[in-house]
Amino acid sequence: MLNRRQMLQQASAGFGMVGLAGALNGLQAVEATPVVPHFTPKAKRVIFLFMNGAPSHVDTFDPKPALARYEGSQPTGELYRKNDGSGYMPSPFKFRAHGESGVVLSELLPNLATHADDLCVLRSMHTNVPNHEPGLLVMNSGNQQPIRPSLGSWCSYGLGTENENLPGFVVLCPGLPVVGPQLWSSSFLPGQYQGMSVDTSDMHVDKLVANLNHPNLTRAQQQRQLEFLGRLNQLHREQRAGEAALDAQIRAMELAFNMQREASAAFDVSREPATIREMYGQTTFGQSCLLARRLCENGVRFVQVYYVAKNEKQPWDTHADNNKRHRDLCADSDRATAALLTDLKARGMLEDTLVIWGGEFGRTPYAQLDKKKEYAKAGRDHHHTGFSMFLAGGGVRGGMMYGSTDEFGMNAVENRIHVHDLHATILHLMGIDHKRLTYRYSGRDFRLTDVHGEVVHGIVS
Amino acid sequence: MNSRYDSVILGTSSHLQRQCVPATNMMRPSTISIAICFSLTQLTLASAHADDKDFFEKKIRPVLVERCFKCHSERAESVKGGLLLDSREASRRGGDSGAAVVPGDIQASLLLSALRYESFEMPPDGQLPDSVIADFETWIKAGAHDPRDAPTSETARAKIDWDEARRFWAFQPPTLQPLPNDVAVDSFHSPIDAFVAARLQAATLAPNPEASRRVLLRRVTFDLIGLPPTPEEVDSFVNDEAPDAYERLVDRLLASPQYGERWSRMWLDVARFAEDQAHIVGNDSSLCYPNAYLYRDWVIKAINEDLPYDQFVRRQLAADLIDPDDKASHVALGFIGLGPKYYRRSDLEVMAEEWEDRVDTVARGLLGLTIACARCHDHKYDPIPTEDYYSLAGVFASTEMFNRPLDDKREREKDGQTKKAEDAVHIVRDTNPQDLNVFIRGDVKKKGEVVRRRFPQILCSAESLSLAFENGSGRLELADSIATRDNPLTARVIVNRVWGQFFGKPLVGTPSNFGSLGERPTHPELLDDLAVRFMDSGWSLKWLQRKIVLSATYRQSSDIDAAKQAIDPANTLLWRMHRRRLSVEAWRDSLLSAGDQLALQVGGPSIDPQDPDERRRTAYSRISRLELHAMLALFDFPDPNVHSPKRNETTTPLQKLFVLNSPFMVRQAESFARRVTEAATEDSGRIGCAYQIAFGRDPSSDELAIGLTFLDGCDEAEEQARWTQYAQIIMASNEMLMVD
Repeated sequence: MLNRRQMLQQASAGFGMVGLAGALNGLQAVEATPVVPHFTPKAKRVIFLFMNGAPSHVDTFDPKPALARYEGSQPTGELYRKNDGSGYMPSPFKFRAHGESGVVLSELLPNLATHADDLCVLRSMHTNVPNHEPGLLVMNSGNQQPIRPSLGSWCSYGLGTENENLPGFVVLCPGLPVVGPQLWSSSFLPGQYQGMSVDTSDMHVDKLVANLNHPNLTRAQQQRQLEFLGRLNQLHREQRAGEAALDAQIRAMELAFNMQREASAAFDVSREPATIREMYGQTTFGQSCLLARRLCENGVRFVQVYYVAKNEKQPWDTHADNNKRHRDLCADSDRATAALLTDLKARGMLEDTLVIWGGEFGRTPYAQLDKKKEYAKAGRDHHHTGFSMFLAGGGVRGGMMYGSTDEFGMNAVENRIHVHDLHATILHLMGIDHKRLTYRYSGRDFRLTDVHGEVVHGIVS
Repeated sequence: MNSRYDSVILGTSSHLQRQCVPATNMMRPSTISIAICFSLTQLTLASAHADDKDFFEKKIRPVLVERCFKCHSERAESVKGGLLLDSREASRRGGDSGAAVVPGDIQASLLLSALRYESFEMPPDGQLPDSVIADFETWIKAGAHDPRDAPTSETARAKIDWDEARRFWAFQPPTLQPLPNDVAVDSFHSPIDAFVAARLQAATLAPNPEASRRVLLRRVTFDLIGLPPTPEEVDSFVNDEAPDAYERLVDRLLASPQYGERWSRMWLDVARFAEDQAHIVGNDSSLCYPNAYLYRDWVIKAINEDLPYDQFVRRQLAADLIDPDDKASHVALGFIGLGPKYYRRSDLEVMAEEWEDRVDTVARGLLGLTIACARCHDHKYDPIPTEDYYSLAGVFASTEMFNRPLDDKREREKDGQTKKAEDAVHIVRDTNPQDLNVFIRGDVKKKGEVVRRRFPQILCSAESLSLAFENGSGRLELADSIATRDNPLTARVIVNRVWGQFFGKPLVGTPSNFGSLGERPTHPELLDDLAVRFMDSGWSLKWLQRKIVLSATYRQSSDIDAAKQAIDPANTLLWRMHRRRLSVEAWRDSLLSAGDQLALQVGGPSIDPQDPDERRRTAYSRISRLELHAMLALFDFPDPNVHSPKRNETTTPLQKLFVLNSPFMVRQAESFARRVTEAATEDSGRIGCAYQIAFGRDPSSDELAIGLTFLDGCDEAEEQARWTQYAQIIMASNEMLMVD
C-alpha cells in the first residue's frame, strides 16, 4: 500500500495537487482523503440558492430612485434587444437601510433585513448574455456551452467529501430546471464529482434518493446477505494476491450499506422539530433550504437549491406582472433564506458555510409590456450588464454593499464582478487558488475560470 | 546588465517604484547610481523634442510601464491580444490585430486608436488624459523614436520549425519493424509477442504462463462479444483437445452478430453518439434525433461485416459525396449529423462552437490530435497554427445538418428537410462552400485573414501542402486525407484504441492525444508494426483483433507475481494480463444472461436499460445529452456531449446501492434464482448450476459450504425468496464484475 506521500507524488504527476481526491477515487481507493488546500479555507461548504429565471435587482438589492424621476424615458446605450418603448419603470417597493451596517434592502425582504449585517450584497455583477440557457451555464460552469464541469463538481473534485457515506455535491430541485443536468455535470471530471440530483417534488426520504432501500428485504435480511457476500468476495480475493482494485470494490459495498442508514437520516427533514420546519416555511423551496442545512451538517460539500416550481421552470422570469410576482416570490425566498441564515448561525455553522443567493442575471430597469399594454401589469426583461447577488457567511465580509451600477441600474460600473470573478472568489474562500485547480483533458489543463477571473479580495473578511 | 526599466526608477509615482523593484534588485549598486544620475538629468530638462530619446523616456515610457505592461509585456502574467509593448520590435510588430506602432503614421498605429477608444478601449479601466494621448500622437508622428532594442523572445507568435516538428514520432510514417533479434522467436505466437518480450527481457522480466482454458474462454468471449460464455460453451471448449480449438473459438466469436454490438460502443464513445441535445427549449424537440438509432445500426452492421476501417471512416465523413445515389449508405453521416446543436444557432458565435465540436470529434477521434486547442491561439505544444484550425472548421462551416426524409411519403419543408424530426434520418449535406476568417483569439467579432479549407500542414506532404479543398465543402477531400496510408496517425490511432479495449491500457496512454503532451507509446515498434500490417490487411479490424487475441501476450494469466510487480508495478511492460472490470454494457448484459433473459435481436430503436422488463442489450440504451441515463452515468458511461478518449473507472458506494436495491437487480435475481431452482432439486446441485452459469466453473468446497449455510433454515414457503437473495449476491459479487 502506498503511503500518503507516495500517493501525493503519483497523483501530482497527472493531476493538479488539489485534485488528489480525484486521483484516489479511481480503482485505487474510494475512501475520502482530506486534501490539503492551497491555503486556509474560510468556507468548508457552500449552499447556493439559485433563483431560476433571474430576479430583478432594482426591486430587491439595488435601489434606483432615478427610475422614478425618469419614468418612461428611454434607456440609452447599447441594449441587448429593442425594447417596446415603455421606458424606465421605477420599483414600487420601499428601500431602507438595515442593521448597524446600513445595508439597503427593499421591503420585499423583511426577514433578510434582520440579517443585514451578515449580508455581502454584490451590486455590480455582470455576465455574458441575457439568455437563460447560456446564462445558467455560465453561472454554473463558467462556459456558455454544456461541455464543462460545474462549479460544484470542481469544488468536490478539489476538496473531496467530508463524509464518505454521502455524495459530495447534491442538487435539490423539484423536477428539472431549464438546461437541466448539465448544470451539475462533472463533464470530463470523473463521474463521482457529478452532482447527485434529488427531485424535491416529494420530500419523503424514500422518494428523494434512488435505490436507498431494498424494495422488500428487511435490514436484518440484507445484513445477512452482505455477510455472505463479504465471505464470497474474500475467497475470491484470496486467490488474487495483490489486486487492490478488489479491495476498493469490497469497501464500496460496505460504504453503500452504511450510506443506506446515514442518507436515510440526512435526507429526512421530517426528523426536524415542527418549529424549525415552520421557520423555513412549508414550501418546496423552504423545506429544500432546510434539507440543504441537514446535508451540510452531515458533511456534504456543496448543495445547490434551485428555486423552480413543478410546472414553472423559471418562476423569477417576470416578463409580465413583475411587481406582484416579485412580491410573492420574495415572500417565499426571503423567509426560507433568512431562516437558513438564522439556523446556520444558531448552530455555529454560518462562519464556515458560504451561502450564495442569486440568479443567472438580473432584469431590465425599464418595463416590458404584453399585448394588452397594461402598465400596471408590466414586466421586466432579461438583463445581464448589471445585476445583484448576495453572499453570506463562509469568510465574506458581512454588512457590505460591494460595487455599484449606474444611476439607472443599467450597467455595473464600479468594482465590476464578472461571473468568473465570483467563481474565483468562491474557490478562494474554499482555500483553492482558481488558477491552480486544473484537470488535464484533451491535451490541456482546464480550469473553472478558463483564462479569466480575479478574486474579489474586497469582500473577503 | 541592461534594464529596460532603469530610467523610470525615479519616476514620479510610488506605484512605478514598486513595479521596478525586481529590476533594481538584480542590479549591482554601481548600476543603480548610474541610473539615478541618468534620471536626474532627464528631470532637469525643461522640455523635450518628440524626435529624441528624452521625449520617449519622459512622456512615453512611463505611461507604457504604468498603464500597459500589466497585460502587454513579457512580465505580464498573461499577455493579452498577443501584444507586447516592452520593446521597439514587439510594439512595431504588434499583436493579433496588427501593428501597434507604425512610425509616422497615426492612422495605421493601432496603439493610438486604442488609446482614443476607437479601435479598442485601452487601458480598459479608464481612458488616459487627452494630454497623454496627444503625447503619443506627437511621438508617433515624429517617427516613434524608441531606444528599446532589447531583444524580446517570440512570445507573440513563435514560428514553427516544420522540419523539427516533423521529426516527432507521431508525424513519422509508421513502418514495418524488424523483429528484435535477441529474442527467441520460435516460442512466440506472433510478432506482438516478440516486441513485448524484447522489453520484458531488457527489464529481466518473463511473461506469465498462459491462463487456464476457463479463464481464457471467459476473457475472450467478453472481449469479442461482450457476453459471458454459456455453460455449454465452457464444456465444449474445455474438452476440445484439438490444437486449433482456441483459433476456432476466436473465429466463431468474430463471426457472431453479437460481436458488432459489443464493438459498436467503442466507436460510439469516439463519435459522442447521442439522440438529443444538452438543452431543450420548452417542448421543442425539433433539435432531437429520434432516428439516431439508424446510425447505430449502421455502425453495428459495418463492424459485423468488417467494413475496412478506411472505408468506415470515409463513409461517416462523406458518404453523400462518395455515392450520392446510394441513399441508404448516407446514414453513416450520423457521425457528424448527430453532433450537438447548441442554443441560438443563428448566432455566428454559437455556430463557431458547433464547428469546434466537429473539428474536435474528427481531430481527436480519428487523428489523435487536439486541433481544437488552436481555435484561439496557435497550439501551444503541437505544430498546429490557428490557421489550420480554421482550415478544418471551414469544412464544417460549409456543411449543414440535414434531416433527410426517410422516404418520399414524408412532409417536407422548402429546403428539403422533413417537417418533423421523427420522419428523418439525421445526416449532413453540403451548403455554400466558404473559407473562414481566422477569428482572432477565438472572438468571432475579430476577423483575421481568410484561410483556405485544407488539411493541417503538419500532416501534408510537400506536394499536398499547397492544395486546398475545392470540391464543395471539402468533406470528401478531408475524408480522403484521413483514410489513407499516407496519414501517419489514422492507423496508429485506431490500432491503439483497439489494443486498449483488450488490455485495459492502450499502448499510447492518451488515445486521443498523440501530440507532444500526450504519452509516448510503451511499445513504439509494436504499435508501428501492427499499424502497418493492419493497413496491409485491408484495414480489417477483425484481422487486428484476431492477431491480438491469438497472441501469447493476450493469453497470459493475470496473476500478480510479487517479484515481477516490484520491478514493474503498473505492468507497463505486460508481464501479465491486466485484470479488468467489465464495462457497464457487459456487466448488465451478463446479469440478463444469468437469468436467461437476454434478447439477442440485432439493431433497432433505443431502450431504457434500467427497466426491469427490458431484455435487450445495453448497447441499445437511449443516450441523452440532456440527461445521461442514471444507471449508465453511475457506471462511468462517458458524457456524450463531447468525444470520449477512454472511459473513467470509478468505484463508488452509489454504484453498490444500485446493486443492492434497484428494481432492475432484484428482477434479474429473481430470474436467475428461478433458472437454477428449476435446473436442480438439491441445493448443492443448484449452487453448482449457479456457478456454471455465472462464472463458468464449479464452486469450491468452501463456496459450496457457505452457500448452503446461507440457504439453510428456511421453510418451503420462504425457499424461493431465499434463493433470490442468494442469486442477487452471486450477481453482486466481485467475480461477476471482474475478468481475470
